[in-house]
Amino acid sequence: MMWLSGGFVFRRGNSVYHRLDPRVKLLISALLFTTTLLVRSITQLALVIVFAMAIAAVARVLKRVGRTMLLTATFSAFIFVVNIFFTRNLETSAIYAIRFIAIVVSTSLFFITASPDELEQVMKTFRLPRDVVFAFVTAVRFIPVMMLDTLQIMDAQKSRGLELDKGNLFQRVRNMIPVLIPLVVNSVIRSGELAEAMESRAYGAVARPTSLVEYRARAADRITAVAAVAVFALGVYSFYFVMPTYLP
Amino acid sequence: MIEFENVTFVHQNGVKALDQVSLRVQQGETLAIVGENGAGKTTLVRHVTGLLKPTSGTVKVKGLETTRASTAQLSRSVGVAFQNPDHQLFSESVYDEIAFALRNFGFSPQLVEKRVKWGLELFGLEEYRDSSPLVLSGGEKKRLTLACILAWDPEVIILDEPTVGQDAIQKERLAGTIKLLGTAGKTVIVVSHDIEFLWPIQPRVVVMKSGRIVADGPARTLMLEKEVLEGARVSQPELVTFYQELVRRPEAPFVNPLEAERWVK
Amino acid sequence: MFLWPAGRGNRRVPDSEFAHHSSRSRHQNGIGEPEGRQMAEVVRAEEYGFRYNESKKWAVKDFNLTVKSGEIVVLAGPSGCGKSTLLRSVNGLIPHMYSGQTAGSVSVDGRAVGETPMSVLAQEVGLLFQNPENQIFMFSVERDVAFGLENLGIPRAEMRERVDRAMHLMGITELAGRAPHELSDGQKQRVALAGVVAMNPKLIILDEPTSLLDPRTALELVDLLQKLRKENGTTLVVVEHRLDLLVTVADRIVVMNEGTKVLDGSPKDVLFGDLAEGYGISVPAITRLQKLLAKDGRVASDRLLSAKELAGLMGGVRS
Repeated sequence: MMWLSGGFVFRRGNSVYHRLDPRVKLLISALLFTTTLLVRSITQLALVIVFAMAIAAVARVLKRVGRTMLLTATFSAFIFVVNIFFTRNLETSAIYAIRFIAIVVSTSLFFITASPDELEQVMKTFRLPRDVVFAFVTAVRFIPVMMLDTLQIMDAQKSRGLELDKGNLFQRVRNMIPVLIPLVVNSVIRSGELAEAMESRAYGAVARPTSLVEYRARAADRITAVAAVAVFALGVYSFYFVMPTYLP
Repeated sequence: MIEFENVTFVHQNGVKALDQVSLRVQQGETLAIVGENGAGKTTLVRHVTGLLKPTSGTVKVKGLETTRASTAQLSRSVGVAFQNPDHQLFSESVYDEIAFALRNFGFSPQLVEKRVKWGLELFGLEEYRDSSPLVLSGGEKKRLTLACILAWDPEVIILDEPTVGQDAIQKERLAGTIKLLGTAGKTVIVVSHDIEFLWPIQPRVVVMKSGRIVADGPARTLMLEKEVLEGARVSQPELVTFYQELVRRPEAPFVNPLEAERWVK
Repeated sequence: MFLWPAGRGNRRVPDSEFAHHSSRSRHQNGIGEPEGRQMAEVVRAEEYGFRYNESKKWAVKDFNLTVKSGEIVVLAGPSGCGKSTLLRSVNGLIPHMYSGQTAGSVSVDGRAVGETPMSVLAQEVGLLFQNPENQIFMFSVERDVAFGLENLGIPRAEMRERVDRAMHLMGITELAGRAPHELSDGQKQRVALAGVVAMNPKLIILDEPTSLLDPRTALELVDLLQKLRKENGTTLVVVEHRLDLLVTVADRIVVMNEGTKVLDGSPKDVLFGDLAEGYGISVPAITRLQKLLAKDGRVASDRLLSAKELAGLMGGVRS
């Protein structure tokens, strides 16, 4: 849960990167992601990761991204071992393992710097149906609330003698039932209340709702976008045609 | 019974929720903790069963430090009724719901049967014995959570904002239950901002503000200290305000609060 | 490039589906209505009854009520008396969202609720639910306040003005960019209320608005409600158990029990009567005292007094 929250939950920030148009942030993360799929050596992958970390540093979220990377490393090691078992090839297994880390880092970069409002904006740009976008944004908005609810439910049940930290795997899973059921029930109740509130504020009255906030791409955003594509193109070119001649 | 010694608690985000709090609660006392939202009342109460552990200082229940036992173990002696019943109820039947804690604490099946029956009777829930707890009304759910706690007969009972959303009849019943618990020798701690509800119970009152205890004394005298109460954003019982205002006036007939109360009763 | 649909400024959305009210004229006129002129009826329920499909019992039956413009009415009654059903019958959730059998009629501003679409009703009646958390949808305060207006397709410029005005009225302008989980309960309450106020309804119904608040914050909310009535001429119906906060402010108290109306009158008439306590209404201690003193003849007043006022009266000094 910590990993999820540290790596993918948005937190307010004021860096130059945060202030970019969300579509540019998405573009950058998408390009990073694509690059990880196109590289062909460990060194190249490492370069991509370093580049991503540099961006994280500019966005002043380096610590969080770094921590996410470390937490992902354990799972990554698992991927490495499994691959070794099946392919017996050290290099490709390492690439798969590190690639996983790179993918997590590039997507994490987007989610921790783009607020749910910005996510909504991006989704609208892709012409997703209004209800889907709304459901998504509302769900994200309630993540911190549900996390708090879970803690409170756990507290309440611990106070009735429930031991959550003892027992074998089977017992521990069974002990989660008194936590999961109230959580689900609360979510259902919450959905009902939300539906009432939505109706009461005329949701669905008009086919195309207006928007209070407008996301205008600034010149800086367009320039950054063009630069990102240029760097990407350059990077891929050098990975494919320049580097293999000199490095493994 | 319960001892807080210089307890300070700092949240992960750096906010100090408790600041050098020292408090001693004797067995059999009825104590009310008042203060505005965010003053630290709930944080304080969460320390009693070890849900939170102090950043510095110690919390002891019956002489045992809360850092040395799990919440489940401490709860055997301290029953906490949280504000939201929907955070607790999950069993297939009301019977199972009351039995849940008893089974966790290792009560024998015969004892479980006895205690559940007693709990159902005490709170008028017999007709719901086999129903799902989720179909009960709000007031019934609150009664059920109380029944769940009293079933295992803890020595200390803590109620966190028990009057929220309750109508007058339910509140009266609740006040009666608190008094009953007191006469049965239980230690009762009520966290509430409903001063009018607390006043007739006449408990010992502890006033909190910004993580500190700013006043501690019997309701009768403490409620007269207007400046302290106002500073902590706690309201005064209306009758006390009335008495204080009256006594200030030059032409007031002599009315003491006892007389006012007698009238009202 | 399709990725940059650069902003095209104010886009007018054709409002073909419903009547978009410009209710600004209401507060431009203010409330000073000349004496003697008949006050408009905002709510009229006549022999109203409702039974949910899943239930055999009538949740509300033979209910009669009129609420006049600018009144503050407190609705009280024991748990399960049908208050929630009644509220939803006025704002339209019944019958538009919940189905069942209806008897009699409920109309708002002359319009029958059952025959008026929610989009129109939402601009006439605002409903503030008990838990502010589950009424805030958006990640930022100002966007949530704008939620209803966005749904109605209000043009951006007008929306901006209405949102700013609502936030200013509720005293939350500095919170415009905050996220809901960064707010206290009292602040969340105000944000939810601002969202309702922005829709410029004639009537706002509040369902136990103070239940999660501490007394001081609750008093602040009551002050805010009075301000709403004064500045916008809004009519208010408040469902509350905690009468001590509202008795000195309300024009009327209506008590419900088992689906019907049992008491209806000025706070003094209702609470001085002997029936109130029988219906599980918590009569404030000071009011009980005032009642006893009035019986003894030591105090005479035509309205309910606060502790200070009562002391002032008894002490012989003009308060």
